[in-house]
Amino acid sequence: MGDYIIWENLGNGTKLVMNQLHYAGLLFMILAYTVKIYQLLKKPAAAEGTPARGDHKKAIQYAFMTLAMPWEIESQKRHWYRYLEFALFHLAMAVGIGFAFIVPIIPEIMKNPIISIFAQIFFIFGFVIGISRLLRRIVIAEMRTISTPDDMFCLVLLFLWMLSGIFAAPLKSEFWLFSYYCMATFFLFYVPFSKISHYVYFPFIRYYVGKHFGHRGTFPKKNVNSQQLY
Amino acid sequence: MAKQSEKAASFNKNFKARTNRQHSLSFATCVHCGTCNDSCHYYLATGDPKMTPAAKMDKIRKIYKAQNDWLGKILPSWVGGGEIKSDNELEELKDIVFGSCTGCRRCTINCPFGVDTAILVGLARSCLVDEGVAPEGVLHVMKDQWEIGNQMGITPEEYIDTLEWIEEELQDELEDPEYKVPIDKKGADFVYVINPREIKYDPRPLQAAFKIFYIAGLNWTMGSVGWDNTNFGLFSGKADLGGHMGNLAYNHAKKLGVKQMVISECGHGLRSTKWEAPNWGKANPLPFEIISLLEVMVDLINSGKIILDPSRNQYPVTYHDPCNLSRSSGMTEEPRFCLKRSCIDFREMTPNRTDSYCCTGGGGAMSMTEYTPRRLEVAKLKADQIKETGAAICATACHNCVDGLSDLIKKYDLRYEYEDGKSKLVEVPNVCELVANAIVIPKEIRKTEKEIRDAVKGRTILVIDDEPDFVVFLQTLLEDSGFKVLKAGDGNTGLSIAKSKRPDLITLDISMPGKSGVQVYRELRSDDATGSIPVFIITGEVDFRQLMYQKTVQAPEGFLNKPIDKDLFLMTVNKILEKTIRNKHAN
Repeated sequence: MGDYIIWENLGNGTKLVMNQLHYAGLLFMILAYTVKIYQLLKKPAAAEGTPARGDHKKAIQYAFMTLAMPWEIESQKRHWYRYLEFALFHLAMAVGIGFAFIVPIIPEIMKNPIISIFAQIFFIFGFVIGISRLLRRIVIAEMRTISTPDDMFCLVLLFLWMLSGIFAAPLKSEFWLFSYYCMATFFLFYVPFSKISHYVYFPFIRYYVGKHFGHRGTFPKKNVNSQQLY
Repeated sequence: MAKQSEKAASFNKNFKARTNRQHSLSFATCVHCGTCNDSCHYYLATGDPKMTPAAKMDKIRKIYKAQNDWLGKILPSWVGGGEIKSDNELEELKDIVFGSCTGCRRCTINCPFGVDTAILVGLARSCLVDEGVAPEGVLHVMKDQWEIGNQMGITPEEYIDTLEWIEEELQDELEDPEYKVPIDKKGADFVYVINPREIKYDPRPLQAAFKIFYIAGLNWTMGSVGWDNTNFGLFSGKADLGGHMGNLAYNHAKKLGVKQMVISECGHGLRSTKWEAPNWGKANPLPFEIISLLEVMVDLINSGKIILDPSRNQYPVTYHDPCNLSRSSGMTEEPRFCLKRSCIDFREMTPNRTDSYCCTGGGGAMSMTEYTPRRLEVAKLKADQIKETGAAICATACHNCVDGLSDLIKKYDLRYEYEDGKSKLVEVPNVCELVANAIVIPKEIRKTEKEIRDAVKGRTILVIDDEPDFVVFLQTLLEDSGFKVLKAGDGNTGLSIAKSKRPDLITLDISMPGKSGVQVYRELRSDDATGSIPVFIITGEVDFRQLMYQKTVQAPEGFLNKPIDKDLFLMTVNKILEKTIRNKHAN
């Protein structure tokens, strides 16, 4: 077991990336997303002017909740491990983001072995799933057909980021910490241009999908007995 | 950079201008996760990686990426972007959006984001149609809807003629000589808006609906215009046509002052008339409610206005959920409610409701004959679903589905073994036909009905037709149904047999060498010995309806175009004979 990094002794490069560059990247990402959302909202939206058959509010809630209801989506119901993989991968990303922003402020938190092992476990999940997703894109013809260089590049970046996270989490190696923040910073600048932006659009698309299918009475999916109709 | 062709440039320009917020979200959000693969019948049936929804949509998405994505503008290949450059690319895109997607939205419902493939396909179709790059069938139907006001180019005369035909059929069936199909009735509670297929090819669902309305004592009307609920605005993506067709119906309904517009069992008809066309045609708010016949039937059953005897539909029935009803109109329970009350043995198909697979006839596919082989290949999935239910009848609430399902049932030879050892192809009726069949006519005396039905068996039918194969076909059909058959290969022989044997019914071909069917018919009618024998015209070439309309010949008791529908043929034979027996009873 090595010693913890002494924060005051961090190299200038690490400090620069962890603080100035990292936050500059965050600022850039916020600005880029603001522009993206502005561009999206500038486009006219198709509106339903007809009387509704269903309940918009319930349907929009349902549309958002399906994220946590794998039984509502056929493919996830059938391939439950893919859902598990999706959930763990995204939790790993959330841990990675949390780590990136919390550590510069309260590095002591990672000295708690429970927290640091918890983070490492998720980084391992993220790394393994990232590699398996990449392999799937390369090996399976259906996935290869729909994969772009951006899809591949994002996965490579993510699993490398997770790999660096595994070693950076205990805060015992400046090299890995530096690597982790370099990649995190790169992400902040690159993500607005890549498919990873999907999470920004997620609330918008689920809102519109929920509203549309709610208007028609399709969402929430029916689980009623037609004997009770009317 | 290669220069864009004129059509490609125009396509790209329209594409950019028509991309709205929902399109953008569906384009930009897809992460190529492959979740949608399991949802698409084209992919599942073929296993072709190019047939997954994401792969197909990428052919459209690339245009969006090139036009809107930041990286796509400067480094298109990195994100899979690229505008259309050539006419060949337009043709390839046509194959994808018209020939490889029915816009069933099964992938949309099962996408974690809700990427709406159907609206993306609609966007691409609209831009292709503007360049004239679309299946001929689609372009023809669009033209008919613009110019004639219905998708099958049915003239007002033909429309009225068929309604009168049904009227006569119902006068017999309901034993009410005063029965009338109301047309443009002021003060009616609702106007019934239908699919032209019901006029042109199969009036049975119309007859069933009219029977239900009659027995329930509803105050309703047909419209003389704006009666087509179908809308190729939906299939072509052209909102202007969509609005035009919607407004034809809405304006006439406003003129009639109805409280409701009832849409017959047509999936895209209900979707476009109730949900899409009021937006396309800027017709909101409408002064009347738009509902489906299914909802009317549920109300009638619930209120006791119609009484059903499910024992009349004794064979196992399953239900196919039409995409436009289940996924785009939220209508999954109404048909089940009706079927469970009108049939003894209702069996669910799996998966069903919003997860039901497309019949493969959606998205205008029935009008695109160039894609029929592919359509039937991918129909395997639906065929397996139906087969698994073991049903004799696959009911549905959509005319496209009736045709799509009938095609796949023939292709995959889906049969039901009846207890008498005979096997028949699975039947595909509309829900209202089963309801109408189960309906108890209040004044009906069952014993008499049974006696009449029994009395029909064993009657003699003379078949006059010059095509030997067709004669054998009819002979087999009729003999299998318990009739005796006489045959004549030409008009003169037919007349001679008719005079000497006095059959109970004559089926008559019109186009024959020598004495034509029209001449034979006139002679039969003018001769005292044969004048009262009912005649059932079965013709392949001459538009006999036109002669009837022009009043140059007396209306025959039955009329059917070749090639014939076996069930419709036998149903008509039975009806004609039953009517004759009833008349004799009455006299």
